[in-house]
Amino acid sequence: MKLTERFRLSRFVSGEKAVDTPVVLNHRRIFILPTQRGLGFVLLIVLLMLIAFVYNNNLAYMLAFLLASVFFITILHSYKALSGLVVQEGRSQAVFAGEAAGFDIHINNTTEIERHQLQVTLQDTQSLTLKPQSTEQVTVYSLTAKRGWHHAGTVTLSSTYPLGLFRAWSPIRFNLKALVYPKPAPIEMPFPKAPSEENQQGFSRNGADDFYGLQEYQSGDSIKHIHWKAFARGLGVFSKQYGGDQASEEIRLDYDHAPGHNSEERLSRLCRWVVDAERAGIRYGFALPGLTVPPGNGLAHYQKCLEALALF
Amino acid sequence: MVMKPELDKNILIFLLVSIGLIVFPHVYHIPAAIFGLFNLLLVWRLIGSWKPNWLPGKPLTLVLAVSGIGLLYSQHLGLFGREAGTNLFIIALGLKLLEMKTERDIYLVNYLAFIVAASQFLYEQSILMASYILLVCCVLLATLVCINSCSIRLLAALKTAAIIIVQALPIAVALFVLFPRLEAPKWMLFNDSHRAEAGLSDSMEPGSISDLGESFELVFRVKFAGAIPPPQQRYWRGPVLSYTDGKRWTQAAFQKPLGKPAVAGIAYQYTLLMEPQDKNWVFALDMPQEFSAPLTLNAGYQLITSERSDQRAEYKVTSYPDYNTGPINPGEYQASTQLPGEPSDQIKHLVGQLHGFDSAPDNFINQLLSHFRTEDFHYTLTPPVMEENPIETFLFKTRYGFCSHYASAFVYLMRVAHIPARVVAGYQGGELNKVGGFLEIRQADAHAWAEVWLENRGWVRVDPTAAIAPERIEREINIDRQTAYGIASGNNYLPRPAYNWLKQARQLWGNVDYNWQRWVINYDNKSQSSFLSSFGINDLKAMIYWMIAVIALITAALCWFLLYQKPKAADKVLLIYNRFCKKLVKHGLLRGAGEGAKNFADRVKIKLPEQAEEVDQITALFIKLRYGRTATGEDLLQFKTLVGLFKG
Repeated sequence: MKLTERFRLSRFVSGEKAVDTPVVLNHRRIFILPTQRGLGFVLLIVLLMLIAFVYNNNLAYMLAFLLASVFFITILHSYKALSGLVVQEGRSQAVFAGEAAGFDIHINNTTEIERHQLQVTLQDTQSLTLKPQSTEQVTVYSLTAKRGWHHAGTVTLSSTYPLGLFRAWSPIRFNLKALVYPKPAPIEMPFPKAPSEENQQGFSRNGADDFYGLQEYQSGDSIKHIHWKAFARGLGVFSKQYGGDQASEEIRLDYDHAPGHNSEERLSRLCRWVVDAERAGIRYGFALPGLTVPPGNGLAHYQKCLEALALF
Repeated sequence: MVMKPELDKNILIFLLVSIGLIVFPHVYHIPAAIFGLFNLLLVWRLIGSWKPNWLPGKPLTLVLAVSGIGLLYSQHLGLFGREAGTNLFIIALGLKLLEMKTERDIYLVNYLAFIVAASQFLYEQSILMASYILLVCCVLLATLVCINSCSIRLLAALKTAAIIIVQALPIAVALFVLFPRLEAPKWMLFNDSHRAEAGLSDSMEPGSISDLGESFELVFRVKFAGAIPPPQQRYWRGPVLSYTDGKRWTQAAFQKPLGKPAVAGIAYQYTLLMEPQDKNWVFALDMPQEFSAPLTLNAGYQLITSERSDQRAEYKVTSYPDYNTGPINPGEYQASTQLPGEPSDQIKHLVGQLHGFDSAPDNFINQLLSHFRTEDFHYTLTPPVMEENPIETFLFKTRYGFCSHYASAFVYLMRVAHIPARVVAGYQGGELNKVGGFLEIRQADAHAWAEVWLENRGWVRVDPTAAIAPERIEREINIDRQTAYGIASGNNYLPRPAYNWLKQARQLWGNVDYNWQRWVINYDNKSQSSFLSSFGINDLKAMIYWMIAVIALITAALCWFLLYQKPKAADKVLLIYNRFCKKLVKHGLLRGAGEGAKNFADRVKIKLPEQAEEVDQITALFIKLRYGRTATGEDLLQFKTLVGLFKG
């Protein structure tokens, strides 16, 4: 293993082993190093010492020593800014590939001191101030790229309180993971015709995605179908409806018949169909090599299908 | 690091006010133009925090910067040194204020303000100034706390900053005492000639001064190792003025005296703590006998230091009030009988009348002193101006004068009678600080007296001013508290305390100030090594070891004080429960986030049916301890034991 790699994997950067239990921040978990401003402060102290030395001025010496001592004491205060916090993993929500997965982190301050300006960083940074004896929840996000399980990686808690001269941080790894569904194919395509039903119904599915009308928003409707223009005019929240009367329809989505050059493209296409079918309220069945899901719809069915696609 | 796009207005105002406070005491030291420019920039920025549009743009800032540099150049302060540095930092601070946009700029401004605060100490080192600067530093740190806590609760931030400073003080003091003080090499010393400390002047011209301000500025302090000499022996010897042109008295070029004066009788051992002087004179009690380098005795028996005199210094001297300087050498004789010209008939007549030409010197001296006493001579701080023939005018016309008039007239008359005589300038008396047991000699104690050379006795001190009848002294002033003849700056005129308590308070303060000067301001490598060697710390290595040890000790104490928190009962419960959960991990039982203790217990029981009872007990106790209200200490103990015994 190369040295840089080892350094990256060390406790110093990525924290202790991933855990499931709540983590209490203590001296093993908290790291402290001066910030750039802290180094500036050191420069200031050196300059003051120089002035004191040249002019043999005891009060200037005293000021320099006082600031040096403040600098030193701040290490303890920086440690105090994080120590004793109990960090616990929360839930995560499934997302489509390419979206940011959100992870909930609960931070519990069981002490009597207020924690100022805590920063929780994953890919972005959230700031919060914790009152004594309180718990706060933050959601940190991480961009996903591939379907499957997305591990949160290292969540870093940091603080520059009180003077900004030192940064105390604690890298924490939980066994936090979010399920990432395949990215739905960008182009809409007609649903595949179920071979058995094609003749019976003789019904073209081509128009299934044609705009049909507006309907008052119901929970579960896709956010993508909200008629934003109407909403902006203050008319209320409406969902765009597509296709005809599909309640009675049933389609079968088959991996083998999905178009695409490779498996990812096919899964992506299937995903899109699942999304569209769920949105349109069509009952859909689902077949992957080694897995068949009987037709159905609703949130549970929808999630089951997407999960199957994600983990295929 | 999250950068806030805009700085909080309140924090900004807070910072600006504290910077105003930092720079304010410099009003006495920096040119008015520079102080004015700085305040203009400060007020501009202050208004700008309400009206950001009014702040100058880039071109205007550049113009301001150039004019600031121009202003610095026009003041002829040079590039290096105290004045130049202080002014440079103040202007830089003012300019930086205007283009303060990000948090980084606030830090830079803050650091600059600390430097300006330190430069204040190069001018004044009093306790009051130190406390003032300490307070303002606290405010500066509070702005940093504000930024880093994202809160605008200024009082809370001030409190935090004050706590940090108080916690920092022990280590700062340890560093102060133990950090090795080294002398700066000569090339690093900037030549600051602008400083003007008040002191005795090296010449005297009694006739030209018509009003003498009394300055209570401290000149030096004396701490006696044993007894304190009586007031009539407290003559602190300064320069010897031998040469006169009739109006003005100056030092003559002396040759070496023939030998060391012979001394006898009581010896007084004392420590002189000199305030900064503009001359390298050290005022010792007549007659200094034992002293060490850098002191030397000049031909006028005056102590001279070879060190810089613009800093406080401490000297140990032993003096003997009973002395005999022995024979006079020809050069000295010539110098101390010098006259500007042939004396007038009026003078000769007076000297003859007082038996100056026809009796022993002793007799003439007594005659002259009684002449001052019996004739209508007055002591005043506001004598009339005597432009022409000041000695004759004083002796025969005005008869109003202060010590210089009397001393110069006395010496002149002695010389007319061919008795070697000279004027000695210095200080007389001094006030005893009863609290600290030391004498304080102030500018107002400046004095001039005469010295006469007598056969077999050497130079003998005669103080003609003391001969003035007490009832003829104008203004209520003790005869032992004579007035300065030199340039006595009267800007800190203090009336003599009329009330006892005021005097006591002043003495108490004087004592505090004395100890401050002695132990804090004057703590240099000499006093450091003598102080530390009393603890057995003799060399640099030991000093550094001790410094590290003391700091480590203080740090340990601080760590305990700051970081040790008695775990609260609720925390303990959770910790013990976590221990329980950890034991179950081996069985693949993981308590999910947000999974209730009961649900988890149910899962555990399915997997480990034989331990169901313990699991139930532990869970019940956990719930009771964590959420119940009736939990007792026994429950906690039982809970702990059960978890301890639980075999995962």
